[in-house]
Amino acid sequence: MTELVTGTGEPAPAPAATQPGAEPSVARVSQWADIRHRFFANKLAVVGLAIIVVLVLTALLAPVLAPYDPLKQDLTATLQAPGGKHLLGTDALGRDQLSRLIYGSRIAVVVGLASILVALTIGIVLGALAGYFGRWVDTVIMRAADIFFAFPLLIGSIVIILLMGRGVLPVVLSLGIFQWATFARLLRSQILSVREMDFVHAARALGAGRSRIIRKHILPNSVTSVLVYGTSNVGIAIVAEASLSYLGVGVDPEVAEWGNMISAGRGFMGVKDFMWTYPSLAIVITALGFILLGNGLRDALDPKLR
Amino acid sequence: MRGARSAKWVAGAIVIALAATACGGSDDNSGNSGGSGAGKNGGTFRMGITEPVAIDPYNAQESEGILVTDNLFTGLYEPTADGQVVPALATSKKASSDGKTWTFTIKKGTKFTNGEPVDAQAFIRGWNRVAQKSAASDVAYHMAGIEGFDEIQAGKSKAMSGLSAPDPYTLQVKLSSPDFEFYIKTTHTVFSPVPKAAGDAHNKAYNEAPIGNGPFKMQGKWEHNKSITLVRNDSYGLKKAHLDKVQIDILNANNGVTLEYQGFESGQYDWARMPTPQLPAAKAKYEPQGEWIQEDTNGMNYLLPITDNGPMKNPKARLAVSYAIDRDAIIKGVFQGMMTKSTTILPPVFKDVYQKDLCTSCVKQDKAKAKQLAREGGLKPGTTIELGYNTGSGHEEWIQAVKQQLEDVLGVKVKSTGKPFAELLADQQKPGATGLYRFAWGADYPTPDNYLFPLLDTASINKDSSGKVTGDNRGRYSSKQFDALVAKARSTADQAGRNALYKQAEKKALDDMALIPLWNRTQLRLVNTKKFADIRMDFHENPNLAEISMK
Amino acid sequence: MGRYVVRRLGQLVVVVLGATLILFACLFVLPGDPVGQIAGSDKARDPAVIEQLHKQYGLDKPLVVQYGTYVGKLVTGDLGTDYTQSRPVAEILEPKLVNTAKLAVFAIAIDIVIGVSVGVVAAMRRYSIWDVSATFVTTLAIGVPSIVLGMLMQRLFVVELGWFPLIADGSFKSMVLPAVTLAIIDAALVAQLARSTMLEVLRADYVKTAVAKGLSRRTILFRHILRNSVIPVVTYLGISFGTLLGGAIITETIFNWNGIGLALIQAIQQNNNPIIVGVVTISVAIFVLLNLVVDLLYAALDPRIRLS
Repeated sequence: MTELVTGTGEPAPAPAATQPGAEPSVARVSQWADIRHRFFANKLAVVGLAIIVVLVLTALLAPVLAPYDPLKQDLTATLQAPGGKHLLGTDALGRDQLSRLIYGSRIAVVVGLASILVALTIGIVLGALAGYFGRWVDTVIMRAADIFFAFPLLIGSIVIILLMGRGVLPVVLSLGIFQWATFARLLRSQILSVREMDFVHAARALGAGRSRIIRKHILPNSVTSVLVYGTSNVGIAIVAEASLSYLGVGVDPEVAEWGNMISAGRGFMGVKDFMWTYPSLAIVITALGFILLGNGLRDALDPKLR
Repeated sequence: MRGARSAKWVAGAIVIALAATACGGSDDNSGNSGGSGAGKNGGTFRMGITEPVAIDPYNAQESEGILVTDNLFTGLYEPTADGQVVPALATSKKASSDGKTWTFTIKKGTKFTNGEPVDAQAFIRGWNRVAQKSAASDVAYHMAGIEGFDEIQAGKSKAMSGLSAPDPYTLQVKLSSPDFEFYIKTTHTVFSPVPKAAGDAHNKAYNEAPIGNGPFKMQGKWEHNKSITLVRNDSYGLKKAHLDKVQIDILNANNGVTLEYQGFESGQYDWARMPTPQLPAAKAKYEPQGEWIQEDTNGMNYLLPITDNGPMKNPKARLAVSYAIDRDAIIKGVFQGMMTKSTTILPPVFKDVYQKDLCTSCVKQDKAKAKQLAREGGLKPGTTIELGYNTGSGHEEWIQAVKQQLEDVLGVKVKSTGKPFAELLADQQKPGATGLYRFAWGADYPTPDNYLFPLLDTASINKDSSGKVTGDNRGRYSSKQFDALVAKARSTADQAGRNALYKQAEKKALDDMALIPLWNRTQLRLVNTKKFADIRMDFHENPNLAEISMK
Repeated sequence: MGRYVVRRLGQLVVVVLGATLILFACLFVLPGDPVGQIAGSDKARDPAVIEQLHKQYGLDKPLVVQYGTYVGKLVTGDLGTDYTQSRPVAEILEPKLVNTAKLAVFAIAIDIVIGVSVGVVAAMRRYSIWDVSATFVTTLAIGVPSIVLGMLMQRLFVVELGWFPLIADGSFKSMVLPAVTLAIIDAALVAQLARSTMLEVLRADYVKTAVAKGLSRRTILFRHILRNSVIPVVTYLGISFGTLLGGAIITETIFNWNGIGLALIQAIQQNNNPIIVGVVTISVAIFVLLNLVVDLLYAALDPRIRLS
């Protein structure tokens, strides 16, 4: 995972979002306003948000934006240099690179969001169970988390894909399955610290039921940092997805997808560099967008760390 | 029927597979521009290969392993690049009139590099060593025709009863069924003689540094994943080599081709393959300098239709597929013009049997005919055809091109599935397999039989009790007429008569479209003709190390 | 402390066993006979040969027995025999692991030197042009994944300028580009981490006290600030090192670095299960072991932390 966007996927000590000071429901409205204000005051964060918005729009409007069908081959016009009828050139099957790039954003968005959603769902459910119940539940879940955490992301994903075959669903699931452990650990540690906070003790003293305490007090105050961390991990998931395709184990090779494009262009290095440079650029910009957005959210939630 | 060549282009890296290219069946040895006749001794020839499975004749199988083994050992006969067979240590051969007993006389007085004599016993020793059950050799099946093979494979004996030495330099081989081409099979390295020092097949020391009787000998042992070094055998019993030394680097399979090319460019290698994308540039640069070799080899690329089940059961449907594919467009567009269209099952290098354009549907795409045949053959819009291929070998692109052409022309739905090799093989073998598969084949020895029998004869289907195909005829093509022609050819003593029958058999198979030819395997190499003379590509697509000389 | 280490080692065993069991189960149900065909060719092996190889590799036994055998051998450091070369997996992977380790050490060295110094300078000169550009450059660096970075560097320094060899022969020169590719993202993260922890330490009371006491700048920097900021950085580097040792698949593939990451990718194409299991076992074991070391280091560096 060190190879991906961030180092190890271990939540670097930074995003300790809702630590003390985050009073519960009472001050919530003004608190969110504050956060929004701090976020939009951060120019880089806004740039990140803008990149993501453009990415999502591109994905949604792909059929409108793309000049050609991304799968339409033209064997009489293969490996055309950028310019003329094909702004970014054509690939070895004469498919329009620009259209493939545009449609590639769909895979990026879908895989990025869906895999993190899978990871978050598993992570939050198990992390909450572990954090709240403690004892053997905690032990079992955390040992399971250790096992999944110990698999390097790409290696783990490859194993699942070997089993399920190539395709979008296997990629989403495999990336989700090997990222939940991080979220579960983060959530658990958040819960452990929130659980001991005064307002929880107070609520308990006031006679609030166990499930009410979890739902109303502990989870909302623990889950924010997990969600923030999830945001920046969407970028990691997108890069991992492209890396899997590059290694020939991601989505099907004919699918218009950035990693596939880089993989197909790899052999043309030094001869037809446009084959791999444009999809590379798309990946870099997307990854940056999610990093900036994640950093912005983190800073907005915890101004102390800036 | 070796996996050999296939091993290299089929499984190798992306670039390897795509590097299979073509020029058009010429004898264009443009790399062989030097050659002052005599040839000077000396020099170190440097090249890169990928890690072989084995360099001991008991299990050498792919082109890389054979490169080394072939230069360490000399057997009875040798194949030439254009598919002929010439004697090596055999001074005469004689087949009995029933084709079941072969008698070879062996050149007297040649020795292994450790001084042991190369006599009939050395051959018997070598062959029995391979055929032992415990050897579990992947190439032992080449000996299956020898009497006593089944017993030794079953572990019931230690020697094949069919091998004997009436005198020290006469080798007699009894076969269990007639085979007038047995001597051709002995060109394979598995039929090498070995010295007593070889021990059994699992003698580690010998596996890593075989002692042979070839033009070269090992210097040190095989450094796995690193290098193999050969030096000239000055006591060689036949025409001695000129090169002092051959330095073979073992490169990673993943981008070995790129490394060879870069190595050649930087002067590190004297022989190199090239990645497909770089071919046009490399050709422009090196062809004018006479450092470019372009040769057709015996390898062939096909689509394999499953003929006993599913949409490809009907011969008309198979013919429709063949007509629907625009081979010229794929070669020009995807392979940058560096391939030759194939219109036969047998390779063009087998000149005696080559029937150009025998496959009429291969000559030119014909959409109207394809559509009509599809209708007659039961391919309807919405019919799904499976198209299986193996990943990681650079087949992705042309498979996609074929897929699109089939869908466009025939209106069918093509489901292309890429899988690692073993899974693809399992798919082809399992009962109920349907559709089309990427398929490639290279010859083990130069005879049409080596294609027609394993790939298309009913006897090569070999279903086991569960219905799984264990033979190499995974298309399950079964034709009484074809089988009869092949059987008749096999029992014909005279070569011309045999070839005529093989040609008829090939025609029958193509009439039934039992294999769909795509393109030939033509190989491109860069060779250092500034320093060396007489460099050519041999039958195994390797440099002819034993003949290369200094300029 | 002793009991803690023992308990952690116990957990480590559980994790490694769990990971290999998952993997074993996955590979076991995988379609295709791993020894069913001659190395990489279209030709099927002789059924008799297949049967014999099945016996030889124990593939005729049920999953549980195979796994038991594997674990039994694992204890003695035997990772089994591979399918294509019939050589011990440990023997095949050892030199590759050494190669991977070389790269990892090199990369971590770059992380420490570049990452820490950039972070320290940025924190000491907060809001200066240095700080701002450091933030900018590190953010950018984190955003360039190794798949892109590796190809860019190869294009520029190998193909265009010819400064480095394309053939990774294990020499120092051929190691530079892959190591840098591996290091850049982590170096940037280390820099950011070093900066933020230093800023936090700078605000701490004991630093203010030290300044008030009139201690020299140098003493304050080395005795108080660096020592206290180093903990998160060490944690991060430790975990990162563990991941690097587990094989950098992408970087090794791009640069043809003959390490265990590349071995894994090749093994997958060949269905060479013993190598796949071997690499994952090694990779997981190293990772958890490094985690333990990091936790112990943590305690050693920060006396406030008690391990229990």
